[in-house]
Amino acid sequence: MLPQAPDPWTIYEAAHLLNRAGFGGSPSDIKTLHALGRTKAVDSLLKPAVGPDEFAMPEWCTPAKMAEDMQERIAQFRKLREETKNMTPEEAEKAKKNVNQTEQRENRQHGIEGQGWWFRSMLHTRAPLREKMTLFWHDHFATSIQKVKQPVLMMMQNDLFRRNATGNFRQLTHEIAKNPAMMLYLDTQNSKSGKPNENFAREVMELFTLGEGHYTEQDIHEAARAFTGYQLNRQNGTVFHNRRQWDDGEKTVFGKTGKFDGDDVVNLIFEQPQAAKFMAAKLWEYFAADNPPPAAVESMAATFRSANYEVAPLLREIFLSKQFYAEEVMRNQIKCPIQFLVQMLKQLDLNQAPQGYTMIAQQQLGQVLFNPPNVAGWDWGKAWINTNTLLTRYNVAGFITKGAEKAPGQALPVDESMAMARKSDDSEMMDDDDKPNAGKRKGGGVQAALGKKATPEKVAMVTEVAARNWRGPDYDRIAPRELRKRHEDLVDSLALRFFQAPLADKNRKRFIAFAEEKEGVVFTNHEVAELVHLMLSTPEYQLT
Amino acid sequence: MKTRRDFLRATLLGASATWTVPMFVENTFAQLHNDTKDLAVQPVTGKDGPILVVIQLAGGNDGLNTLAPFADDAYHKARPRLAKKEKDLIRLSDYCGLNNSMPWLGSQFKEGDLAIVQGVGYPNPNRSHFVSTSIWETADPANRSNTGWLGRYFDNACSGSDPTVGISFSKTQPEAFGAARNPGICLSTPELYRWINGNDDSKTAEEFFSDLNRPDAPVEGGSIAMAAGGKTGAIQGESNLSFLERVALDAQVSSAKILEIASKHKTNVQYDGTPLARSLNLVGRMIAGGLPTRVFYVSHGGFDTHNNQMGTQDRLLGQLDSALKSFMADLKQQGAADRVVVMTFSEFGRRVGENASGGTDHGQGSCLFTLGQGVKGGLYGKYPSLTDLSQGDLKFTTDFRGIYATILENWLKTPSKPILKGAYEKLSFMG
Repeated sequence: MLPQAPDPWTIYEAAHLLNRAGFGGSPSDIKTLHALGRTKAVDSLLKPAVGPDEFAMPEWCTPAKMAEDMQERIAQFRKLREETKNMTPEEAEKAKKNVNQTEQRENRQHGIEGQGWWFRSMLHTRAPLREKMTLFWHDHFATSIQKVKQPVLMMMQNDLFRRNATGNFRQLTHEIAKNPAMMLYLDTQNSKSGKPNENFAREVMELFTLGEGHYTEQDIHEAARAFTGYQLNRQNGTVFHNRRQWDDGEKTVFGKTGKFDGDDVVNLIFEQPQAAKFMAAKLWEYFAADNPPPAAVESMAATFRSANYEVAPLLREIFLSKQFYAEEVMRNQIKCPIQFLVQMLKQLDLNQAPQGYTMIAQQQLGQVLFNPPNVAGWDWGKAWINTNTLLTRYNVAGFITKGAEKAPGQALPVDESMAMARKSDDSEMMDDDDKPNAGKRKGGGVQAALGKKATPEKVAMVTEVAARNWRGPDYDRIAPRELRKRHEDLVDSLALRFFQAPLADKNRKRFIAFAEEKEGVVFTNHEVAELVHLMLSTPEYQLT
Repeated sequence: MKTRRDFLRATLLGASATWTVPMFVENTFAQLHNDTKDLAVQPVTGKDGPILVVIQLAGGNDGLNTLAPFADDAYHKARPRLAKKEKDLIRLSDYCGLNNSMPWLGSQFKEGDLAIVQGVGYPNPNRSHFVSTSIWETADPANRSNTGWLGRYFDNACSGSDPTVGISFSKTQPEAFGAARNPGICLSTPELYRWINGNDDSKTAEEFFSDLNRPDAPVEGGSIAMAAGGKTGAIQGESNLSFLERVALDAQVSSAKILEIASKHKTNVQYDGTPLARSLNLVGRMIAGGLPTRVFYVSHGGFDTHNNQMGTQDRLLGQLDSALKSFMADLKQQGAADRVVVMTFSEFGRRVGENASGGTDHGQGSCLFTLGQGVKGGLYGKYPSLTDLSQGDLKFTTDFRGIYATILENWLKTPSKPILKGAYEKLSFMG
């Protein structure tokens, strides 16, 4: 057990917990959490009042609708095959292309809807730790829509992560081995007896459970044989074990021999003491800091093992530990782009972002939901920051804080990924109210404006209009007129909102000097926006 | 006014730092808005010095279908579906031929500007993408190094502290750039490579911005328990905050220059719309603008062909061919073709036998290209045996560090030993 922190705590510590175990919040969110005291606050995060169904997913994500859609597609292909029989090769090619294009367009549309849905869930949820863990699992069991191609499978996987967010790690590993999106991503789908595909067998050990150096090449070869025969039913998206494609011979994994299948191998993995250490260290790094001391890892791993790989008790130990609130841990984590975006919106008391913009920002900052770069997930910490992404963060902050009028479209980067995004996309497209369930609602905002035929051009237009109309935050609420008369108090109040720590003296003086310089006849919202953008355009703001 | 150099000296090296005073930083701050003039940068190598362009073929490029041993029965036997026939290749010898998705590179081979090194790898190969990439980028098979081979080149051979000594066209810094002093910069869209204020009285705001992003005192926090760093363009032992402050300063220093160069220099050579071609187009513009950059790094991904390899790999190699063709034409037009050498690499090759999904799994030993007028074209190294295998994989015949040594010494004109931390036998593809 890690040494525990006492129950009384500072407002800064409460902010730290909310930032790390969630995506931060407005000053009033932090005050509310602080009032609970440390232990109750941690428990409220671990046992949120709302269930994993807090927001309904878009209609096309339900299993019934998915099966229906899949069957419709199969029927369509059959029909196509019939029709093309009597066609010239050119005509047949064209007909095929048409069908493919329709499907691709729908997938693209769904992909964008799904991404927007998840982003809004993070922004609006009353169970922030659950969403933060969902993001953790997505990075840990990384799967990319680029290869999987079917948004519905990504959303089902997302649902799996959310339901098991603080649940059982071993159970989740079992599930992920038979998860359709993961199977397509790591080629388990095609792994057959005699010619096993090693992709999943390797990554499940290297990246998901044990880490490099805790298995042999032989273990991987043998495990790959055990993972043969799992197949995805294209009619309904379920997974079954095809015994005929399964290698039923004896395998030796971690020195044990038997006619193992995939489940057996996962169980063997979790018999390795390393599995608990690996995950405990990774969770510590995600929530607290890099390089946990070995003694702390041992202690957490012991908790984790005795809890039979339940994640919640381990997280509780972390969030209540003294070390989690140590000086070198607090305000010393580089925000990932998603954290940067969601936390910024929350701090600005915004419950939405300009339509389509958050998705483009994700691309520019290097973290697009459902699209990790590879099976190892994203590189974290310092890897998020380079000269390029840092300037982009500053410019994204400029656009969000100032609105389109003052930063006319400038923060919208125009490179290729952007052009792609513009073509099809709008993550926030359906976002014109507070709840991320827009996919379920018929009509409404942009979706209605676009109708069913969301051509790339149309979407681009709507995205741009939405961005052009972006007005920025409500500065009368963030910086009441009365407060603006006292520059020092104004700066301190904004600093608490954005940094949750006292400012370094030199920066505090600079912000105050800036406020003084800006003071014209009146201190308008425009000047406040300038000051806020400046505060967000600092190295310090990249930390939480 | 404190400068990047002062900052680095104060924070990282203490008073004992002795390297010469570069003019660059002072100049840039003084003329942030109005120059790309010939700055006194990189005194050792100079702005007319040689340039290396590294292209990463990410995901593990299958060498056997890049440079295919068509005359080897074992090849066709191991790959009934995937093996390339002689007629589908650009014949380079009686034994092997180049994938015919690369007609332009084939012509360069014939003209003597393309060298292909066969069977490149390292002892005790690692089949993890991440570990093996790291080994290539750090040039350290034990994989304990916190700095990259190019970062060590910047540290050792490029005096001054111009952050543009290395430019990576990607969203993240390559591990190869990890350095003790100067890890280079990273950019993707030059037009946006600046702080955008978007206001009428932007002058005041920009002054404050500039101040806030220029650390003026050594940052405390050396005691903060930090990651070893280095893997991501960070300096070893640097705290998160001082890392951020340094990057902020680098961004400021480099942004005015890059913006101006990118808008000034355009080429009439046609490039494709692929990300690789776009990146090489930008490299061409940076070279035309006279940046003192020694190394450009671009990545070309998608080579992890576990599934239906044939179409994917051919398409990716075709994109490489076409992008390089445009790039070299661009350089020729600006008269810079003799200053540039291109090197490709990939973290590993692939298994000799194909798998059931029409793809190939992770293997070892692959081929590597070097291209340019400074290269003596031809085939180098030995094609690994397809029958004498190690767990189904080719056994490497050339250590990749020998290629690095050749490029460092014969192209970048610097001793390779301190950079590679050892002596490696050079190859003869450079004079």
